[in-house]
This record gives sequence, C-alpha cells and structure tokens, in this order.
Amino acid sequence: MPKHPARLAAMAGVAASLLLATACGAGSAAPASIDLGSGPAKSGTIKKDALSGLNMTFVSYGGVYQEGQQKAAVDPFAQESGAKILQDGPTDYAKIKAQVDSSNVTWDVIDADSIWAEAQCGKLLQPLDYSIIDKSKVPEGLSGQCTVPAMQYGMVLVYNKDKFGANPPKGWKDFFDTTKFPGKRAISGNPGDSAPGPFEGALIADGVAPDQLYPLDVDRATKKLQSVRSNLVFWKTGAEAQQLLESGEVDMGMVWSGRAYAAVKNGAPFQVAWDQWMPIMDSLAVPKNAKNPKASMALINYYLGAQQQAKLTELTSYSPINTDAKPSLDQAGQAFLTTAPGVPEKALKIDSKWWAEHQPEMIEKWSAWLGG
Amino acid sequence: MASTLQAVAPPAAARQPADPERRPALLVLPALVALAVFFLFPLISMVISAFTDPVPGLGNFTWFFSETQNLRVLGRTFTTALWVTVVALVLSYPYAYAMTIAGTRARAVLTLLVLVPFWTSLMVRTFAWVILLQDTGVVNDLLGTIGLGPFSLIRTQTGVVIGMVQLLMPFMVLPLYAVMSGIDRRLLTAAGSMGARPVKAFLDVYVPLSLPGVSAGCLTVFISALGFYVTPALLGSPTDALLSQQIFTQVNGLLKWGRGGAMGVVLLGLTLAMIALLAVTLRRAGKKVTG
Repeated sequence: MPKHPARLAAMAGVAASLLLATACGAGSAAPASIDLGSGPAKSGTIKKDALSGLNMTFVSYGGVYQEGQQKAAVDPFAQESGAKILQDGPTDYAKIKAQVDSSNVTWDVIDADSIWAEAQCGKLLQPLDYSIIDKSKVPEGLSGQCTVPAMQYGMVLVYNKDKFGANPPKGWKDFFDTTKFPGKRAISGNPGDSAPGPFEGALIADGVAPDQLYPLDVDRATKKLQSVRSNLVFWKTGAEAQQLLESGEVDMGMVWSGRAYAAVKNGAPFQVAWDQWMPIMDSLAVPKNAKNPKASMALINYYLGAQQQAKLTELTSYSPINTDAKPSLDQAGQAFLTTAPGVPEKALKIDSKWWAEHQPEMIEKWSAWLGG
Repeated sequence: MASTLQAVAPPAAARQPADPERRPALLVLPALVALAVFFLFPLISMVISAFTDPVPGLGNFTWFFSETQNLRVLGRTFTTALWVTVVALVLSYPYAYAMTIAGTRARAVLTLLVLVPFWTSLMVRTFAWVILLQDTGVVNDLLGTIGLGPFSLIRTQTGVVIGMVQLLMPFMVLPLYAVMSGIDRRLLTAAGSMGARPVKAFLDVYVPLSLPGVSAGCLTVFISALGFYVTPALLGSPTDALLSQQIFTQVNGLLKWGRGGAMGVVLLGLTLAMIALLAVTLRRAGKKVTG
C-alpha cells in the first residue's frame, strides 16, 4: 500500500479533473444577444457584423460536399457576419444524441439525412424560426418544421453504355431482370441505415403501381430482392458506389446522382436512366439546446440564397434548392442535375413522412435481410 | 507529469530515504487515472446502460438472445476470429522459426517485413486490400493470367479473413519469435543424439517449448479479431457483418444504446470466458510439458 493514501487520492483527483476538463472542453459563454436587423428575412443575406465575436460549428459529411458548402455559403457568411465558424464532421447521430442528452451542445448547424431529421424533430432537433429563415424560394413541401433542404439529388439507375448501349435498361423492372440484362448491380446496402431506394425499386419491379407504394410491403420487396441477391453488390458509402462504377465491377447501379456524375467525369462509361428516379435530399437542422439558435437560423437563411446555391451546385454537382439559382455547369453536369428540364416529372413520389415514422423499423428489417 | 510528482514527493522521500520501490508505483498513477477516466468510466456506463436503457431490467439481453439473427452474427464473429487465428498461426509459426535460424542480415529483413506494415495505418492497409482483392483487381488479374479464377474475394468472408490475418500477423509473429529465440537449439541436437528423427525431435521438444508464444499470440489475435470493425466493414459484405457492425447499427443507426451496450457486454463476457478457458487449458498443457 502507498504510504500517503490521502495525498495520493488528492493527486488522483486533481489529475482526473484536469483530464475531464480537457476532455469535455470548456463551456462556452451564455447566448449572446443578437441583433439581426429589422424587416422580413431575405435568404442569402446577413446584417454586417451581426455575429461579431461569436463561435459557431457547422457539421456536414466532409469531402467535396462539405468543402463546397464551406466555400459557397459558410465562409462568406462568416466573413459578413463576423462569426468564427469551425467545420466538423461527419454528422454522427450518436454524437448529436450524446450532446443533447448531456446538455452540452457544441454543434450549431448540422447537415443530416432529411428523413432522420424529420423523425427527430422536437426530439434531438429544434423547430426552425421562419421569421429569420426565408424559405420563399424553396420548392413547396421540401421544408419541415425543423428542417430545410441542404441540396437535392437522386437515387438513379445508371448502366454501362458500352455493354447495354443498344438496348439499355429503362427502369427498375429492367434493373431486377437479370435474364434480359445479365451482370452485377451496385445497390445501397448499409446495415446501420435504411433509406428510400431498394424497397421502392423492388416493389416497382414486382409490379406495384407507383402511386400504391406506401405503406411499403417489406416482405414482398425483400422477396424480390432475394431473387436477384447473387447479382447484387452492396455499397455502404457514396465513395464506394463511385469506385464500383469506375473500376467496372458492376454493369448497372442504383446510386446517388452526384456520385454517378463524378464517376462519369472520371471516365466511367455510364449513363443515367431518369425514369422512376427517386428524389433524396439532405437537410439543415439545429440541435436542441444549441448555444445560439438565432445565429444558427441566420446561417441557414444565408445558405439558402440563390447565389450560394448556384455556387454550391457548381462545386458539388448536387442540385440547388433555391428556384432562382442559375449554376453554370458543363453539359455532363447539366445532364445529372435533378432540376434539369424534364427530369423532375419523371421522379417516383417518395413518401418521406411515412419513412420518417417507420425508419427505425425499416432499419431493423433491412439490416436483418442484409445479414441473412 | 514527472515534475509534479517530484514536487509532491520530496517530504515523503526525505522521511524515508531508502525506499526506492515506492516511486515507480507512483509514476504509474497518471496512467491509471487516464485509464479510469477514458476506459473504465465509459465501460461502466456502457454496462449500466445495457441494464437500464430504456427501462431497467434484462430487456436488452432478452432481446439479444431471442433474435436468431443476433445469435447468427455472434456465431459468425467467433468463427471468423477463430479462422483468422488459425490462419495467422499457420503462417506465422514457420516465419518466426525462420527468423530464429536466419543470419543477422536476413533476420533484420524478416523483422522489417513484419514491422513496416505494422507501423502503417490500419485504414490504409485495409484500403490497399480493397484495391488488391476487387473483382478487377491485381490478385484476380494475376490468377487470370495463370488460367484461374476470377474469384469473388472482396465482399466475402474469405476477403475479411485475408485482410484481418495480414493486419494481425505481427501480433502472432512477435510473441512467437520472442519465445522461440529463447529456446536452446542444442536440445534438438541432444534429442537427435538420443535417436530421435528430426521431425520427432521438433514435435516433441521444440513445439512444446514454443507453446507460451503460441498461446500469447493466439490470444492476442483472437481477442483483437473479435472486436474488429473497419476491416470487415470494408472487405466484407453486409451479409457477413460481425458483432461490432451490429453494435454500430444499434448505437448509431437506431440510437438504441441499451441494446448496443448489451451486445458489448455479451461480447466482453464471452471474451473473458474464452481467456479463462484458454488460461486453464494452457496451464494444463504446460504442466504436461514440464511435469
């Protein structure tokens, strides 16, 4: 036994509290009183130096996407408002829960999957203040009580034009027809997640009418998926999907439009079939108990501006959500925009409300099938 | 840290000058505190959440053991770890043996071949395997030129085992080499002079003496393999998910921390049980050799 247990204990205590202090980070100051100016909010603007001296953190998924967000919206916002904005990521739901549960929220604005965000409205996320956020240029139905879209993209069918060029697959029915269209198919398959895509595609292929998809008949969908399982290659991240196209490991894919565009830009011989594409988007949201909700709202409002959205699209190839945004892109880029003329009408209608209500159950069923 | 300790220590040292053995214990203290804060505390809170989140009771454990899916994943986790251990042992034993009999320069090369990958990030090595093993990758190209394959290596359990063996082999080779280099090779000569053929001398004399290294290596590899996350996530398919990935699903996808905690507790409990079992078996084996 040590000779001086009391001294030892005191030292241990000091060391422990030091470690804890560094681990948890020093708490920030109380919410500053913020003057955002008078008059109705206008997207893409912020009163000069309104947030001087404030520290904020913007959280997204990293890579080209977050860099684009930073360059198009976050950095200019920081410059104009005077706030200092840190970038963090990737958006981690467990971390958000930990922050909200422990009442130590260090993330001010997060970019998250919109279905998850809708499901967490009022739980981990707080309602947005639409007197600060101007959503008049956001298409009807894309914003929620706690969310505004961060951009838009699609789950699309792409195929190798060298292989299927003469007789290409046209929709999900062809995607699931391995006799007429032999070959491997890339499909999203993340056991920790479930999102619109595979179930809807399988049901359409099995003969369900597009307006009868919901509530999803999961048993029927998994049965259809099972019938082509040996031809499926599951991708867990966008990067993996892109790599599968570029390395030629698959002949067809159910992938994100932005990643398909990136693969094509790198020389992959793929083409997109827009029929029955499924719109998806990320949303911006503010965690509950965020330190400066007003500042968070101001950042979101700025992010929605037409100029910011145009620049974001130019930098990331995701589609803009401000209807006034006029991005200048090359022809290939234009071809992959979900907002290009003729494209929106071809979309399948995804019931994101239904998804938000049923996502946990869908994750369990999807994970069970994947692991089966 | 050291200066803080010295600042506090002098009075004690002055009163008791001839007590050098106390100080090393004191030096370990910061490490122990760090361990308590960063390891023990989260571990305990995880165990607590397993029994209390969302409601107190054994609900999370009942859920775990009532879903066949979970038991299948648990079984797969242990068989994968076992495969990795066996393959790593089969490859490492001759390698470590070669290290003991090689000349100085050859041994340096062999050691370097183990250590350089060991110092490279796990993530980088796993990605390298993704590139090598993919259907259109180098391995399949090579196999193709000699008229074999193509084989599905990536997104299969085979791919996961290949990747994990490469990542964990240093943990097998190094303890084996440490023990083997301490074995007196004259014992083999002695066995030969007593009439044993080389193979018999090797199996009856050398192998038993190397067992401590085998057990240390196997235990380290097996236990590390049980908790692997990145490699199976990248090289495997969701169809061969391991327990760590299922835990991630519960914690991150579903925000069901109690369930994730319960899975962690089950994994921890079974791992401790395996260690105990192995320790007992090895002690018996050890007694047989020496006694």
